[in-house]
Amino acid sequence: MRIFLEKHLNLLDYALSSLWRRKGKNLSVFFVFTLVIFLLASFLFLTRSLLVSAQITLRQTPEITVQHMVAGRQESIPLSYMGKIEDIFGVHQVSPRVWGYKYNEVTGANITVMGLSRSPLLGEEVLAEGRFGAQGEQGWAVIGQGVLADLDLGSRRSFSFFRPDLTLKPFSVRGIFAPQSNILTYDLVITGIDDGRDLFGLDPQLATDLLVEVVNPLEIATIARKISQVLPDTRVITRPQILKTYQAVFSWRSGFAAICLISALAAFIIMAWDKASGMAPEERREISILKILGWQTPDVLMVRFWESLALALVAFVSGTILAYIHIGYFQAGLFRSVMMGWSVLRPGFDLVPVVSGTDLFLLFSLSILPYLAATIIPAWRSASVATDSALRG
Amino acid sequence: MFVNPWSLALCLLSGITLFLILVACKTAVKVLRHWDPAADSQRQIELESEIWLSSTLVQYGLAFQIISLLLYVLAADHFSGMLSGAMCATGALLANDYGLPLLIVKIAGMFLYGLWIVLHQLDISSEKYPLVRLKYILLLLIAPLLLADTALLILYLQGLNPDVITSCCAVIFGEGDKGAVQNLLGRMGSQTTLGFYYSWLALLFVAGFLAWRRQEIILYLLYGTAMALFFVLALHTLIAQLSSYIYAMPFHNCPFCMLKREYGYIGFFIYLPLFATAFCGVMPMLIHLCRARGILAPTVARLQKKLVAVSLFALALYAVLSSYPYLLYLFRGGEG
Repeated sequence: MRIFLEKHLNLLDYALSSLWRRKGKNLSVFFVFTLVIFLLASFLFLTRSLLVSAQITLRQTPEITVQHMVAGRQESIPLSYMGKIEDIFGVHQVSPRVWGYKYNEVTGANITVMGLSRSPLLGEEVLAEGRFGAQGEQGWAVIGQGVLADLDLGSRRSFSFFRPDLTLKPFSVRGIFAPQSNILTYDLVITGIDDGRDLFGLDPQLATDLLVEVVNPLEIATIARKISQVLPDTRVITRPQILKTYQAVFSWRSGFAAICLISALAAFIIMAWDKASGMAPEERREISILKILGWQTPDVLMVRFWESLALALVAFVSGTILAYIHIGYFQAGLFRSVMMGWSVLRPGFDLVPVVSGTDLFLLFSLSILPYLAATIIPAWRSASVATDSALRG
Repeated sequence: MFVNPWSLALCLLSGITLFLILVACKTAVKVLRHWDPAADSQRQIELESEIWLSSTLVQYGLAFQIISLLLYVLAADHFSGMLSGAMCATGALLANDYGLPLLIVKIAGMFLYGLWIVLHQLDISSEKYPLVRLKYILLLLIAPLLLADTALLILYLQGLNPDVITSCCAVIFGEGDKGAVQNLLGRMGSQTTLGFYYSWLALLFVAGFLAWRRQEIILYLLYGTAMALFFVLALHTLIAQLSSYIYAMPFHNCPFCMLKREYGYIGFFIYLPLFATAFCGVMPMLIHLCRARGILAPTVARLQKKLVAVSLFALALYAVLSSYPYLLYLFRGGEG
C-alpha cells in the first residue's frame, strides 16, 4: 500500500511540474474550461436558489385555490360557491380574495393589488414596519418595497389609485414589507377585501378566487378532487402542484440553457483533444527518454491522467467560485432575464446563492468527466511514440 | 423529459461510456483474431500497445458507469419533485416501466465491470498476459449490457412526463396523485425475518473466517454463494424493515431517501460497505478459475485471501451501520 501511494505521489509530482513547464498551453485550456464551468454552474446555482425561494414563499400560500372558469377564461367567482366547499369534510376554512393589477403609466410597472378578507397567514415578522389592518377597517394598505420606490412615496404614507371610472381611491399605508420577502411582496399592495372590490369595481357578491385551507395536508389531493366534482366550472390548484410546476419549469429552463452550453462544452472538448494531440518535438523526446529510463506505457498514461485531473479540478473550483460570486454579488446579471422574464418590477429581489452537494456532483459529471474522457486517446498516442525515431529525429 | 440538466448528464455519461467501450471492443475483436504472444510481427507489437489503450478506456468507462449509478438515483430524486404522485426517488423510478429495470441493469453491471477490472489487474501482474483472451471475451459480453443500459435510459427519460398545471381545468388529479407513500416493498414479517437475517449474517461470518484461514475452493464457493444470497436478502431487509428505523416512520420504506442530507447521508455508509462486501465476497470464487493458469496461481491465492479479508471487514461495517438505527430505537425503549 505504501509503495502504491508513493508511486502515485511521485507521478503526481511529476505531472504537476510538467503542467507548470507548459504554462502557456495549459493556461489557455484552463481559462476556457473555467469559463465553461462558470456558465454551467451559474445556471445550476441560479435554478437552485430560485427553487428554494419558491419553496420558502409557497409555504405561506393556502393549500387550495379555486378559480371560476367561464369559456376557458378565469372570471370572478360568486361567493355562493363558498358554502358548497365548506360542506366538504376536512376543509378548515374558505376565504375569498380579490386581486388584480394596477398599471403605473409613469414608470411602466405593474403593481399587484390584493384584497384579503382577513390578515394573511404571514405573521408580523414579514413587515419592516407597521401592521396589517384590523377587521372592518377601511382604506388601509400594506405595501412592498418595490411599490414604495415605484410610487416614490418617500416619507409620505398615503397614495391613491384610479377606479375604473377614473375617480380616485385613497389608501393610507399601515405597514411595509421587509426586503427579505421581496420575491413574494416586492410589487404587492395588500388591503381589505372591501377596499379591493371598491378599487376594481367588483360586485359585493363576487371575489377573484377562493382560498381553501385544509386540516390534514395528506388530504389535499382528495379534497381538491371533491371540489372539482362539486363545482365543475372551476379550476382547482393545489400547493404541491404549484411547487411541482415551478420545479418543472425551472428545470426545463436550466435544461434548455444546459443544452446550449453543451455545445460550448463540446467545442471545449474538441479544443482540449486537439491541444493534447499536437505534440511538440520536445515532448516526444521527453517521453522517449522516460521510456528509456524504464517507464512503461501505463505510467505515462497515469501522468497524463493526473495532469488532466489536476487541471480540471482547479478549473472546477475557480469556475464554481466565480459562479457563486456571479449569483451572490452580481445577482446573476447574465442570465436573470432568461430564468425570470422581463417585467419591470419583478427583478427586485435579492438572490441568495444556494450550493448543494448534488448540484456540485451534477456539475462534476457534466464537465470534468467528458474532459477526462477526451484526454485518454491523445495521452495514449503520446505514450506510444516509437522511442528510436523520436530520439533520432 | 430530456430537457433537464440531470437527463442531459445521464445521457452524456452514457454516450461517452458507450463510445469508450466501443473503441475498446474494436481492439477486443483484433485481439481475439490475431493475438499470438509468440510472434514478433509488427501486428503483435501494435496489438500489445493497443491493449493498454483499450484497458485504460474500459477502466474509465466502468468508473463512469459506477458514477452514473449514483447520478441516476440522485436524478430520480430530483425528478420526483416534478411528477405528481412521486414523493421521493422510488416514485420517480416507478413512474414508468423502465425505471426499475434500468436500476437493476446498472447494479448488475457494477459487478461485471468490477470483475473485468480484477481480471485486468491479474492479467497485467504477469508479463505474459495470460488472461488477455478471457478479458476481451468478457468485454464483448459487457458491451450489449451497456447498450441495454443506454436504451433503457432513453426509454425511461422519454416516458417521464412532468405534471404542469394546465390552463384548462382540473384534469391533473390522475390516479397517481393518491397522496400516499409508494414503496418498492411493503413492510412485512417482523421478528422472524429479522432473526433469519441476523442468523444468516452470523453464518456468513463463520464461513468467511474459515475461508480466510483455510483458503480452500469449497469454502470460497460456500462463502461466495452465501454472500450472493445475502446481498439480495440484505437489500430486502434493508428496504422492508431496517429503513423504517432510519426514517423513524413506520410506513416509509424507501431505499433512496437515506442517501439524502435529511438523514445525514447515512445511506452512503450503508450501501458502500454492502456493495464492497458482496463484491469482495463473490470474487474469490470466480477468480479461482484463473488459478488453473499455472503462473497466476500464487497471485490469485494472495488476492483471494485479501479479498475475503476486505469482504469480512466490510461485512462487519455494514452489519454495525445498518443495525445502528434499529439498536438505537430498541435502546431508547422502542418495542421490537
